[in-house]
Amino acid sequence: MLQYAAIVLIMLGLYGILTKRNVIKIIVSLNILEIGLNLFIVSVGFVDGGLAPIFTSQNATNDLNFVDPLPQALVLTAIVIGVGTTALGLAIAKTIYAKYGTFNLDEMGEK
Amino acid sequence: MASIELLLIIALASGFLAYLLGRVNRVYGAIVTIVSSMFVFSSLAYFGFTDSLDTTVSILPYVTFQVTYLGMFFAVMITFIYAMVSFFNPMFIKDYKYPGAYSMLYILSMAGVIGVFFTDNFMVMFFFFEFIVWTSMFLIPLGHSRKAAVSYYAFSAVGSFALLFAIFMMREAAGSFGINAGLAAISGTNAIVVFILLIVSAFAKLGAFPLHTWLPIAHGNAPHPFSPVLSGALVKLGAFVAVMALIKITPNSYVIVALDLPLAQYLVAIFAGLSIVFGTLMAIRQDDAKKLLAYSSMSHGGYILLAFSLGSSIGLSGGFYHIVTHALATGAAFLAIAAVGRQTGTTKMSELGGVIQKMPVTYVVYLIAIISMAGIPPMGGFISKWLIFQAVIDKGLILLAAAVFFGSIGSFLYVFRPLAALFLGQEKPQFKGILKEAPVIMLIPMIVLSGMNLVTGIFPNIFLQFINKVIVELGMAPVVLGTYTIQGTNGILDPLQITIAFGIGVVIAFIIFILLKKSKQVGLMDTYTAGNFIYSEELMHYSVDFYAPIERLYEKHTTHVQDMYKSLENKVKEFGNVVKYFFFTNKPEITVFWILIIIGALLWGDLL
Amino acid sequence: MSAILLIVIPLLAAFLSILVKKYSANILLVVSFASVVLLNYIPLEVITIGGFAAPYGINLILDQYSLIALYAVNVLFFLVVAINCAKFKKLSSILLVALAGLNGMILTGDLFNLFVFMEVSGIAAYLMTTTNQKPLATFNYLVQGTVGSSLYLLGLILLYAMFGTLNMQDMAFQISSSGYHIAVTAFPFLLMFIGFGVEAKLLPFNSWVQGILGSSNRLTGPMIASVYAAAIGFVLGRLLTELFVFEGTLLLIVTAILGFSIVAGEAMAFGAKKVREILLFSSIAQAALVALVFLSGFTGLAALLLIANTAGKLILFLITNTATDQLGNDDISTLQGLFVNNKVVGVSFTVAVLNVLGLPMFFGFVLKMNILLEFFQTDHLLWPAVILIVSVVEGIYFIRLLLKLWFKESDLPQVEFEFTLKYVVVVVAALLILFGVYTAPVEQAADDLTAIQYIEGGNL
Repeated sequence: MLQYAAIVLIMLGLYGILTKRNVIKIIVSLNILEIGLNLFIVSVGFVDGGLAPIFTSQNATNDLNFVDPLPQALVLTAIVIGVGTTALGLAIAKTIYAKYGTFNLDEMGEK
Repeated sequence: MASIELLLIIALASGFLAYLLGRVNRVYGAIVTIVSSMFVFSSLAYFGFTDSLDTTVSILPYVTFQVTYLGMFFAVMITFIYAMVSFFNPMFIKDYKYPGAYSMLYILSMAGVIGVFFTDNFMVMFFFFEFIVWTSMFLIPLGHSRKAAVSYYAFSAVGSFALLFAIFMMREAAGSFGINAGLAAISGTNAIVVFILLIVSAFAKLGAFPLHTWLPIAHGNAPHPFSPVLSGALVKLGAFVAVMALIKITPNSYVIVALDLPLAQYLVAIFAGLSIVFGTLMAIRQDDAKKLLAYSSMSHGGYILLAFSLGSSIGLSGGFYHIVTHALATGAAFLAIAAVGRQTGTTKMSELGGVIQKMPVTYVVYLIAIISMAGIPPMGGFISKWLIFQAVIDKGLILLAAAVFFGSIGSFLYVFRPLAALFLGQEKPQFKGILKEAPVIMLIPMIVLSGMNLVTGIFPNIFLQFINKVIVELGMAPVVLGTYTIQGTNGILDPLQITIAFGIGVVIAFIIFILLKKSKQVGLMDTYTAGNFIYSEELMHYSVDFYAPIERLYEKHTTHVQDMYKSLENKVKEFGNVVKYFFFTNKPEITVFWILIIIGALLWGDLL
Repeated sequence: MSAILLIVIPLLAAFLSILVKKYSANILLVVSFASVVLLNYIPLEVITIGGFAAPYGINLILDQYSLIALYAVNVLFFLVVAINCAKFKKLSSILLVALAGLNGMILTGDLFNLFVFMEVSGIAAYLMTTTNQKPLATFNYLVQGTVGSSLYLLGLILLYAMFGTLNMQDMAFQISSSGYHIAVTAFPFLLMFIGFGVEAKLLPFNSWVQGILGSSNRLTGPMIASVYAAAIGFVLGRLLTELFVFEGTLLLIVTAILGFSIVAGEAMAFGAKKVREILLFSSIAQAALVALVFLSGFTGLAALLLIANTAGKLILFLITNTATDQLGNDDISTLQGLFVNNKVVGVSFTVAVLNVLGLPMFFGFVLKMNILLEFFQTDHLLWPAVILIVSVVEGIYFIRLLLKLWFKESDLPQVEFEFTLKYVVVVVAALLILFGVYTAPVEQAADDLTAIQYIEGGNL
């Protein structure tokens, strides 16, 4: 189920980038795309009825049904990168606004 | 023994020497070109004809050499033209923007010639082939026009890459880059493809129809001393490729029984015939003497291709001999025009006239050259054209024979025009008193070339005997030669006899000229036309609209081929603009859109 | 000495340079030079990080291939930095991060790690391009780059879900031994290919190139067109030869993309009227050609071609952008006659162009002939024909450009080229000639690189 939600979010993000003409909205769409992607990554590691992948005194054997921990680690990195890109995008959006006085791509008068 | 490798290295090294000396004083660089090209020519000729060229290679990587009569024929002839023309360099070097580079590239392109003709390896041959292209390409813009070099490069590139593709196909068939192995190994459908590619290459280099449009642009705009090299020497690289295609490869094509000629060869012959006709017609129209000679090169390229395509011994020897006589004649003619161009600053016929008064030697050189070009005895051009006529008529190719005769008569029409317009007639007012004969150093090569034009006409057997060796090497029967005579298929030619008869005629004419009253010089304005008062001498120049009635027949159809290439160029540009319109906007969504399209294409194909 | 220093030192220096802003340019110069020197002392090896053996932990792979890639990228990077560091002091930290990202990208043997380094160097590139003063183009680049890398990540995760590994070597092994139908991996592969296609300037995904390179300055032009192109090209080459399995429809799509990029790139350059546009469109075609050669399996030649092209582009962009910075715009008519008074620079430019055209005496000729030969030997006649035909087009526009730059009678543009720049372009041009004449090491290197089929490491 989670996968479908993630794919819908990714599609939504792509749709936003494809149709929106506003710089901020495009950045938001990028974010949606990334969130969808992150969800998808986490969902890959999901195991139905699985345990948290931590050895404890109760769960001290490898035979137990752990969820995959790797995607969770990947997602952390991906989120950080996404935040960095968003921050940079917003900074550029600010310079765009300073230069053109608008956020709308169609009103900038530059090919 | 003389090592070819050593010669090549000396030539390359002297190129750089020419540049360095050219930096000190531009004339020194030009003098190096004379010394170097004379050295290369004379050692090639001397050691070549005494069969003592050494093919061992000790320094250069990958390069291997072989000495063939075919290669030697081309190499000696081309370096001879280089050597002759180099005498003009010191006189012209001051006009160039980059004199050091001119001297260097001049020698380097000549060094490339050694590489092309003495190797037994296709890759090495192609290396030097392209080497010649780019070195000579940078020489052309030193003249009048930058566009000329672009056009030269474009057509040369088409030729080179067609050749390259053919080379790789032959390599695949033979398993090595060996020239002989490659040509022998190709067969079946591949042979047809290779044949077509080589012919395209030959046509592009020779400037034959329909790949001719670069010729007038490049020859007409190249520096004056480089035009004869282009027309007399470098264009002949195409003939070399044509020999490979037409003689050494026999694609398994349909043989036209009535003509006893394979279809492939016949098609080449037809295009060659068209080159003769179109070249002639276009040459008749030109105002610039250099462009006129360029179109004449196109028509003579047609002669050479036609001769080779017939596949008979007479045809072959006619073709080879025509390469020699045309190189000598066109070299002399271009040099004469170059001399006039240097002394007057223009080569346009409508701006010149009466040059004979001040430059009689140049006039005689030009006269001899055009007699040879028009194929009139006692010059070399007559012998080679006679051989080609023999071969064409022997095959019974009526239409092509008509083209050949048309070209011959036509060439008389057009070469006569610069003679009349440029040398004869009235002296132009702007040149009165300032025009002088060309300096001695320029007269030397012109006189040598004229002498060669005569020798090729009177004693052709000296050359034909060597050409026989080439023909035998190519696997054909040699042409039967007497001491002074040539045995054709339907008659014997005795050039010596013709020359004597011709000489007697000249003597009689000269006696009459001496005995009769001298002609009187009058000014151009000393006339009136239908009661009109003549106020400008230009109007009376009779080279303007010289052949107007003939030109009128086809003047609307002279630019079709140029238009074709122009529109091809525009199509490429348009395609680029369409792509740019679809893919390159400053809108981020474009990329996403195309990504989705492509993913869709994949899913459509494999998964859904 | 360990290869990890190539990533760690620049990264550490980047933070240091923020602390001591005054010396940041010097730090940049020293570090970029040090990493070139360092390369000579690093043994070829596989480094496992954190003590986890290969399929479970990240490993860095320094084999013959990545060593050559590192040399190319680091040397080019150093040259660009050496010319520009004084003028772009503010960017020092960013450039150091970029160097760390590029080195990491080449070294890593882990697909997710590759994504991280790609983003690191990508963000550095976005920041660098803000100096073009075209925020809109930078924004465009950022959006497309992010979408591209997101697609790469998506494809990567799909592969991970299927095969349970992120290690390149292990993944390739799993795929070949799994016996899955080719269509199963086609979709993730295409996503990853597209992700790289954005950065590698392949045609439908590269609309950022015009905005970025078309208005680039002396730093960003050579950096993006030469240094980044080299790094991305090498990584793409590694993926194409070692991981991706392209067959059926996918192969058709990918070859169509590459072929179209080659043809359209040259056609667009043919119609372009600005010098930088000519260069950028031609570099699109060249990038696609390199990818095509990699795809065809001629790894060694592709790697060398990539080096030849990027070295040539370094010269071309350095000279063009220096002139443009001083003259205000890059119309051919403005730059016409540029070399009349700058012959040394002009000769280097000419050498670079002739090298790109593959004319004899230059490095490009040797490579072009060998590539064509390989295509013929594997019975691919279409590609040689395409390559040769576009070469004619390429030749025409480049020769036209060259002649314009060499010939003008009066009213010459006044451009000062400083000594460092002259020195750099002359040395690079001399190398292009040297390897065009002295071909033995070139062919040796090409054979060596092609011979390496599998990277060592990955405990299989």
